Amino acid sequence: MLAAEVNLKEMDALIKEVKGKIEKLVEISGGMQCVDRNCDRILASIKMLEINICDLQEILEKEAVQLNRN
Amino acid sequence: MAVKNSDRYWNPVLETLPREKLRAMQFNKFKRIVEWGFHNSKMYRRKYDEAGFEPGDLKTWEDIGKVPMLQKDDYRSAQAKEPWPYGDSLCVPLEKVTEYHQTSGTTGQPVYQPDTWQDWEWWSESWAYILWAQGFRNTDRVFIPFGYNVFVAYWAGHYACEKIGCEVVPGGILNTEERLLKIQELKATALMATPTYVLNMADTCKRVLGKDASELTVRRILCAGEPGASVPTTKKRMEEAWGAKVFDHVGATEIGAWSYECTFQPGGIHVNEALFLVELVDIDTGLPIEELNKPGKIVITAFDRFAQPCIRFDSKDVSMWGEACACGRTFRLLKGGVHGRVDHITKVKGVLFSPVSVEEVVRGMPQLGDEYELIVSKKGDVDVITLKVELVPQAGVTPQEIQPELERQLRLKTNLAYKIEFHPFGSLPRYEVKAKRFKDLRHEHK
Repeated sequence: MLAAEVNLKEMDALIKEVKGKIEKLVEISGGMQCVDRNCDRILASIKMLEINICDLQEILEKEAVQLNRN
Repeated sequence: MAVKNSDRYWNPVLETLPREKLRAMQFNKFKRIVEWGFHNSKMYRRKYDEAGFEPGDLKTWEDIGKVPMLQKDDYRSAQAKEPWPYGDSLCVPLEKVTEYHQTSGTTGQPVYQPDTWQDWEWWSESWAYILWAQGFRNTDRVFIPFGYNVFVAYWAGHYACEKIGCEVVPGGILNTEERLLKIQELKATALMATPTYVLNMADTCKRVLGKDASELTVRRILCAGEPGASVPTTKKRMEEAWGAKVFDHVGATEIGAWSYECTFQPGGIHVNEALFLVELVDIDTGLPIEELNKPGKIVITAFDRFAQPCIRFDSKDVSMWGEACACGRTFRLLKGGVHGRVDHITKVKGVLFSPVSVEEVVRGMPQLGDEYELIVSKKGDVDVITLKVELVPQAGVTPQEIQPELERQLRLKTNLAYKIEFHPFGSLPRYEVKAKRFKDLRHEHK
């Protein structure tokens, strides 16, 4: 029975940062297949992190903005 | 954010999310995939244009019902077009497709299913939710007795086992006896198969290896492909034969792995509401069903599958909403799993008849073997249901002795009378994947 404290906001920011770095790597690879194809796989895994973390964080942020407006 | 029992869930945040937040996230993801389909697939654009619908019409949750429902035939028609073989349902350039699978073709021409690597990663992600919820961990050695081929079946289960750290043994080309010997040799702790094959393997183990399957080391079995693991008497048979916990899961090639039973075995399956929107609609009117215990047809959207999206797909499966599960998940529960298909639930002698209820009776009588066959035919204007069963070798009763009790239980359960035939043990067809035990031959008499 584990209880954990998770910081969605921080995880969301890190996921975006990692994604940005991998996309940058593709940009500068000069079309090297060994870089592009492996990055493609990493980006697919990053998408799973987005599904698990960022999609919810997006909603929480929208709610927070709404609350501030009210 | 604090999460309790975090080791119980694959994603402790999403699986226990308050309903209103879950719903907000679902609506956001639903709008996103509808936009994607509308802008990238000619099939969806055509369908939505014909209905006068566009993504901007999605303003509130209630608007979801305005999105036209997708039928399997829509995929079939689209796949007659370019680019071959997926046609204009495809939303990505062909060179992005890395996985090919197809439906079994049980209901007609198979549907071809393209997936990109990201989609395939998503498949194994959805399976990871299932496996984790059923107690699979990196200490498990999982044997997969599946003929790895064009059917998606346990492919994604295999990849998900790797993802969560299990050791996977692919039992592909082996026959049943060789598979059992391999399970014995490697001391496999878990198994994935259809209920029919789980029972078939236990039977073979006794006949050929001369031992009960429970003497092997398998303690966890994941079932798919048939409703059996949610039919209490079939589940009991499997659990007793193997000395293992048996869990249900429902998925489909065009949809994904959208539901799972958890270790609490609540008598139903959780919908993975982080990855899918499951609507239950009235079979006749198509109106949404929110109340508990009312049967309806399942309509599904996969939020994150992009090569060939699945948006408001009419699964033709029937189920009903059940009470919340004690496991702590806020994902809704479908009571009794999938009860059958709309096209199998049919009227016989004017009575609504579901073949799964016959399975519950047959598998509840220990004197009867696991296999049975159900045939509805016509004699003149009258419907006749023939039930073929087998007596197990050590039944200790004659057909004449057991028939009245079988008839009584069938009448109680289904309100119908049957013509019962007893066949020699082992003579009815055995199946490895999906069994075809129900035949409605009435149209052949017209």
